[in-house]
Amino acid sequence: MSNSHSDTIPLHPSSQSDIDEIENLINASVQSGPATVLPARPPSPPRASIPVSSSPFIQSKIPPPPPQSSSSSNHKVPSVPAAPPPPPPVGNSSSIVATGFGPPPNTLTEPVWDTVKRDLSRIVSNLKLVVFPNPYREDPGKALRDWDLWGPFFFIVFLGLTLSWSASVKKSEVFAVAFALLAAGAIILTLNVLLLGGHIIFFQSLSLLGYCLFPLDIGALICLLKDNVIIKMIVVSVTLAWSSWAAYPFMSSAVNPRRKALALYPVFLMYVSVGFLIIAIN
Amino acid sequence: MDESSYWNLPSSHLLGSVPAVVNEESEASYGRRGGGGRGYQTLGPPTEGFEQQSQNNWKGVFSISSYTQYFDVDTDVVVNRLISSFYPAGGDFFNKIGANPDLYGLIWITTTLVFMLAAFGNCATYLIQKRTDRTTTWSFDVGYVNAAACGIYGYSLVVPVAFYFLLRYLGSNASLIRFWCMWGYSLSIFIPTAFLLLIPVEILRWIIILVAGTASSCFVTLNLTSYIGGSNDLRMMMIAAFLLQMALAIFIKVWFFP
Repeated sequence: MSNSHSDTIPLHPSSQSDIDEIENLINASVQSGPATVLPARPPSPPRASIPVSSSPFIQSKIPPPPPQSSSSSNHKVPSVPAAPPPPPPVGNSSSIVATGFGPPPNTLTEPVWDTVKRDLSRIVSNLKLVVFPNPYREDPGKALRDWDLWGPFFFIVFLGLTLSWSASVKKSEVFAVAFALLAAGAIILTLNVLLLGGHIIFFQSLSLLGYCLFPLDIGALICLLKDNVIIKMIVVSVTLAWSSWAAYPFMSSAVNPRRKALALYPVFLMYVSVGFLIIAIN
Repeated sequence: MDESSYWNLPSSHLLGSVPAVVNEESEASYGRRGGGGRGYQTLGPPTEGFEQQSQNNWKGVFSISSYTQYFDVDTDVVVNRLISSFYPAGGDFFNKIGANPDLYGLIWITTTLVFMLAAFGNCATYLIQKRTDRTTTWSFDVGYVNAAACGIYGYSLVVPVAFYFLLRYLGSNASLIRFWCMWGYSLSIFIPTAFLLLIPVEILRWIIILVAGTASSCFVTLNLTSYIGGSNDLRMMMIAAFLLQMALAIFIKVWFFP
């Protein structure tokens, strides 16, 4: 495990194996990467990022020769106190830069507010990536690299609750319809892209479709407060266009260009039906 | 010999064989896949494997890749099939599908129809009530969504299955996927119909729905006839298909646009 701390402690070059050197180079490039990717969950499994946790592999494959074993045990001692390193980018509470190296910070004993704050900050950062204009929108590998499902869950439930609140009769049925439509819709849309031969990651797509509901949430809230049909139509059209604009680059780049319309039409259909529900519920 | 080990082509087994000229027209069907080794006599087995693969890449019920064969269509193909379903005259839909039936049409046409019926059904009910009673207010009945989903999905899934089993029992060949595809596209004419049924004139509504129902039923019946071969025994099948489609049309009118 001592090799896993090698990124924080500058090792003497002569005592490093080649693989350690490569590991350091990788860490250096990851740590100096774009700051838009927030350090979220520390021991995140390698999704779109560089394969990590090769240290156990190194440990078993390369039997350290005797002079190295003494130096590696020496490394153990100074590395332990440096276990929670202060990373250069935003370091929220005890989170380590999301490389997976090092022992996972003890999320069981941290204050609940820290956990909640971390999740909230991830939701906010993902929202900014997806819904607001940013230069990385066109690249589905970069956008929403750190997907999560809390954000979509909150938005779907919020939309269901808002619609249910605005309804005067059959409130629970309205919530059920809205929730089922959005949740099943996101899954079916993702399956649709996969069946058409597109390349997306299932949960990343679910996450993205959930985040793109945020404008419709705002629209539903405004319609709840203002009950005029004309205003409702205008608000819903604007937020519908916004949602579609947010979802478009991701969906269209995932499939063969000749099937782009086939992949985009269901997205449009789902947002239009939700928009209609928002206008029509009285 | 060493160089041939770097080329992972199947032609390495051809070393020492005498290349024979093969009639290229007979291999035309393999032309898509038989890129390498054309003109060599051993073109047969590798492409046979390919053909077998393209028809039989079933990797299990829970693997997505075994269903992608039913969604292997492009935008223009889908639009073409959609437009051809509006003209009930020619009975050549199954020829048009050819070897590539798709379930994309079935799924998304039925889903669009469910949404249209729920949305326009509510609007139309409101408009008709407004004509008779000036004081009605708009109310959105979510039950329409349930009824539309159950009705349309149920019809489009169950009826082709029933016809498939019946026709299999009676001996003629039938393909479930093609039936689903055809019935799915036959529902597409009801989408603009639902929009037209907003007009709050009762007589006009009945005329519209009867015309659309007849067109759709003719589409189904003619295609079914041409697919099966139209023997006298199966006349009852055709009539049943026609009546079922008309019943669906009447159900749409009565339930959603009263």
